Amino acid sequence: MAFHLMQRDRVGAGTLVQALSEALQTIQHCVQCNNFTEATLCELCNSERRDARLLCVIETPADLLMMEQTHAYRGMYFVLMGRLSPLDGIGPQEIRLDRLLDRATDGVTEEVILATNFTAEGEATAHAISELLRPKGLRVTRIARGVPVGGELEYVDSGTLAQALLERRPTSR
Amino acid sequence: MTSERHLATAEPAFVLHSTPWRETSLIVELLTAHHGRVPLIAKGVRRPRSALRGLMQPFQPLLVSWFGNGELRTLKNAEWQGGLPLLQGSALFCGFYLNELLVRLLGRDDPHDDLFLVYQTALARLAAAEPFEPVLRAFEVALLRELGYALQLEREADTGAPIVAEGQYRFEHERGAIRVVEASGNAVQFAGKTLLDMAQSRYDDPVTLVQSKQLMRQLLGHHLGYQDLHTRRIIQELPSL
Repeated sequence: MAFHLMQRDRVGAGTLVQALSEALQTIQHCVQCNNFTEATLCELCNSERRDARLLCVIETPADLLMMEQTHAYRGMYFVLMGRLSPLDGIGPQEIRLDRLLDRATDGVTEEVILATNFTAEGEATAHAISELLRPKGLRVTRIARGVPVGGELEYVDSGTLAQALLERRPTSR
Repeated sequence: MTSERHLATAEPAFVLHSTPWRETSLIVELLTAHHGRVPLIAKGVRRPRSALRGLMQPFQPLLVSWFGNGELRTLKNAEWQGGLPLLQGSALFCGFYLNELLVRLLGRDDPHDDLFLVYQTALARLAAAEPFEPVLRAFEVALLRELGYALQLEREADTGAPIVAEGQYRFEHERGAIRVVEASGNAVQFAGKTLLDMAQSRYDDPVTLVQSKQLMRQLLGHHLGYQDLHTRRIIQELPSL
C-alpha cells in the first residue's frame, strides 16, 4: 500500500496522513466506558435513555457495535480493549482490570454482564472479572452460548452442540 | 524424519497456543500424540465463514492433518473430537499453566510417547473439577520424567540408600536427594515423606502439598532458566487463587 500511494496517489496519501493525524490528536478513550471517542465522555455514556444499572463488558469496540445491533440491550458498556492471554503475558494488570473495578463500583451499577468471547482467553477474562466483582456485591452474569437462532442441529458444529447439552436448562412453563 | 514431517493424517492433537498471522490466518503450536510439539500455519481459519473458525482452541481434543517440509507445516484439516468438557474458572488458568510449561520446555518435533497421555489425563482431571494442586504436581513430575530428567524420589543420590519418611533431605537438580544430618542454614529441606508421597502421586498430606510445590518450583525454575512463567504470575494476580 505504501508503494502504491507514493507512486500513484500522492494526493490520497496526503488525505490519509491528515485523517490519521487528526484521529491521533482528537480521539481518546471515554473516561467511563473506555471506548474511542472525541469527547471526554462518549455519546452513549452521556445518554439519559440508557439504563445505568446494567454494565456490559466486551473485548473490542467492534463487539460494542454488534451488541448495539441487537437492539436488545439498553444498558451501559465497558470496553476492555483486549483480553487476558496468559501465555503472552497479558494478565489482569495489562488490561487494567482495576479501571473496570472502579467503573463497576460506582454505586449505580447493579448487574455486570460479561460478553467477552467464547474463546479460552475470553472465558479466562470473564472468570477473572467475575472473581473481582462478585465480592463487591454486584450481580455478575455471563451471556449464554448454544445453538444459534434458526440453527438446525444437523448443521451445528459438534463442539457447540456438546456444550449446549452440558449447559442445558429446565424448560419454562 | 523429513518424510515423517511431510504429512500427517488425523493425528490426535491439542492446541497449546496460537497467534494471529496476517489478516486471516493463525500460527498454531500443537501437542500431538506421535510427533511431539508441532508448529503449523492455519491459513484462512480466521475468515468469518471458515469451517475451522473457532476450532483451533486450546484444551479441546482434535484430529489434525497437515503437510509440508519446513519447520512450520501447513494445516490441511482439523476435526473436533470431543469427550472433554471445556475447562472452566480456575481450572482454565491451570490449563494455561500446563500449556506454557509445554511451550517453554518441550522442543519442537521431539516426540515423547507418553507425554500426550499425561497431558490428556491432567486436562481430564482439571475438567472434572478435581483439586488442582495434585493434578499440577503429578503433571510436573511426569513432564520432567518424559523430558529425560526423571526424579529419583525413593533413593538417595550418592549412596542409593532408600529414602526414609522421617528423614530430612535437600534436593539438588541433576543429582537428587541428599540426606541432611545437621540442619544447615540456607538450603531448603524436604521431608522424606514428601519425596515418597510424590513418587506415589499421593498428595493428601498438606505438608506434602506445600513441600512438593516448593520442590517442583525449584526444579522447574532450573529448567526454565529462572525466567518466570507468565501464567504463574497471572494466577497470583487473580483474586481467587
